[in-house]
Amino acid sequence: MNTFLLAVGIVLCLLAILVLYRVVFGPGVFNRIAAISAIGTKTLIILLIFGFFYGRVEMFIDISLVYALLNFIGCVAAAKYLEMERER
Amino acid sequence: MVFRSEDVIVKTISRILVPFIQLYALYVIMHGHYSPGGGFQGGVILAASFILMLLTYGYGETKERISEKLVNLFSSIGVLIYAGIGFLCLLLLGNFLDYSQLARILPVEAARARSLGILGVELGVGLAVMAVMISIFLDISSGGVVPDDRDVDEDE
Repeated sequence: MNTFLLAVGIVLCLLAILVLYRVVFGPGVFNRIAAISAIGTKTLIILLIFGFFYGRVEMFIDISLVYALLNFIGCVAAAKYLEMERER
Repeated sequence: MVFRSEDVIVKTISRILVPFIQLYALYVIMHGHYSPGGGFQGGVILAASFILMLLTYGYGETKERISEKLVNLFSSIGVLIYAGIGFLCLLLLGNFLDYSQLARILPVEAARARSLGILGVELGVGLAVMAVMISIFLDISSGGVVPDDRDVDEDE
């Protein structure tokens, strides 16, 4: 089971690195925002996998909840910024 | 500069979400000694709920819940709780923040007094951090002009 979790975690890390390419070189702001929230979601799952791996899920669930929350608020803030730019 | 928006989806979602965020922040503050988190992290989550409210509803409507004056008051009260518990321990012939000395005035044994003292300090830290975070957000988003002041200027 631990090997499986480790493999899933490594694959998710590689996928996050792939998405990072879009964040750095992505054309336009929308691509960047979508990529950043995708990385946030992947990080959340990686945190949960860490929790199962070390056998302390109840701690890592707290952290991942906070991460999801701040990800959402960051997304709203970025959308707000874009709306402001359009109105200007 | 904190804009009002007429977006129904974002408004509804954040109205549903804000109480749960605040409940979760209180959970993080209360369980600071068992799980990751504590006063600072809980305060930041509590501030995030108010920042979400500010982002979606604007300062005009959020002012009725938490205003600039209230934020300043809360930051002072938070520091007062923290330093007050610390100096109370000094007055009870202990070191600064030596919680076990609180057993002299509380009807509990030393270990329980230590736990309660830590909880009180965490509450103070959470309150102060929340207030300062909201204050920073208001200052950055309004360019340093407190919205209350601007309203007064327009009236004149």
